[in-house]
Amino acid sequence: MIEIIETGPFNTVQDLGRPGYRDIGVSASGAMDPLAVRIGNILVGNDDGAAAIEVQTFPFKLRFEARAVFAVTGADGHPMLDARELLPWCTHFAEAGQILELRQPLTRARAYVVLGGGLDVPVLMGSRSTALRGGFGGNGGRPLINGDRIEIGTHSDGLPLPASGIAVVEPAVALDDVFPAPIDGVLPIRAIAGGEHELFASDGEAFWNQTWRISSRSDRTGYRLSGEPIKPTATIEMRSHGVVPGVIQVPPGGEPIIQMSDANTAGGYPKIAGIIECDLWRLGQARIGSRLRFIRSTHAEARAVEQAAARYIEDVRQTSQMIKRALKAMA
Amino acid sequence: MSAIDLSDPATIAVLTDALIAAGVDGLEITKAGGHLRIVVSKGEGARVSLIGNAQPDFSAPLVAIVKAPMAGRFCASHPSAPAEAEHLPRAVSDKDVIGFLRIGFVLLPIPAGRSGLLTRRLTEPDALVGFGDPLCEIEPLQ
Repeated sequence: MIEIIETGPFNTVQDLGRPGYRDIGVSASGAMDPLAVRIGNILVGNDDGAAAIEVQTFPFKLRFEARAVFAVTGADGHPMLDARELLPWCTHFAEAGQILELRQPLTRARAYVVLGGGLDVPVLMGSRSTALRGGFGGNGGRPLINGDRIEIGTHSDGLPLPASGIAVVEPAVALDDVFPAPIDGVLPIRAIAGGEHELFASDGEAFWNQTWRISSRSDRTGYRLSGEPIKPTATIEMRSHGVVPGVIQVPPGGEPIIQMSDANTAGGYPKIAGIIECDLWRLGQARIGSRLRFIRSTHAEARAVEQAAARYIEDVRQTSQMIKRALKAMA
Repeated sequence: MSAIDLSDPATIAVLTDALIAAGVDGLEITKAGGHLRIVVSKGEGARVSLIGNAQPDFSAPLVAIVKAPMAGRFCASHPSAPAEAEHLPRAVSDKDVIGFLRIGFVLLPIPAGRSGLLTRRLTEPDALVGFGDPLCEIEPLQ
């Protein structure tokens, strides 16, 4: 059991999401940085999809009511356990009564508290994620509030973790050859031209060539971008159609909207592009006010990036298990 | 294979525990540098005698050697941390992480294991080390 001691708004329970129900109007939800949740779960010995706490407003504090293993992944900066700085992306043990504190990250947007055994909240439609719009899933279908108490599931990993923990080279560093770093503070995000790209003619090029800023009117549903508006050459009436996270729509005002984890299930705005799925976690870690630029990508590149990320995940899974087995044998 | 330091109290303690656990009465190890004898007495614990050059110099500060718990590449600092020159000696507490073993993308933090003064690195950054290889020296704080 854990108790939330201090939380800002919009911190929620999330796992890898609830795909497959868009046809009945249920968005996928899930962590904005699913890579951080996967790696955290592997480190503590959970199944990949165990539920974690997504923290996007800080400071955040929780109290452990029993001994537990945990890792904090995603954001940069050091979490604190009873005021002692801890390594991020690393497993730690907490004793009953100890308080974990997460402070405002230096550059990124979201931290994930992953607990050994996962958060034991009900599985609804195949997921423990909070669906804020539907008001279900997670912890009572709502963001966490002070005083919330959440059970931790049974930790079933048979291999003991080393007392000093086990950590990873975080994805942004380990995969720096496939995830290019920001250039002069501008995050490159790869995308493929969408179904209505041709409607924008020369403004379509302006979409790719300018630097956009993530506006304050952004949340888990979508990021609204600020920049030089782009307009289609003609106003067209479109039927609503299905949308997924990563779709970039252009409303009449001309400033694009990127659909994120709590994406609408349908929409009628023209789609100028779609972000490759493997770059979505980088957007999930981009803060309001930060700048980004879209880079033309291809399906082949998207597949190559996806495969590199999958190799990284598999390496962490296999190697961490091997290390735990080796240390157990030598103990 | 790493050389065993017969004067290392931790090594002696591990050997003694292993003898008791195995029900063995005693052990003698002779090396060019010295001679270690451990005799386990029922109910009285173990008697340890060290002879030769391996005898610790009790006038010198007792230096603890932090050793690699398994094979891997040694990183003195976290790969995600900005590169900074390390200033030695520096005070460490027992839970402080004084380096990492990198195996693929996984990092095994190396705790100091004792409070003291980290005085010397014994392994070059990014060197491949094996189980038991010495990584650094920690002296007791004066």
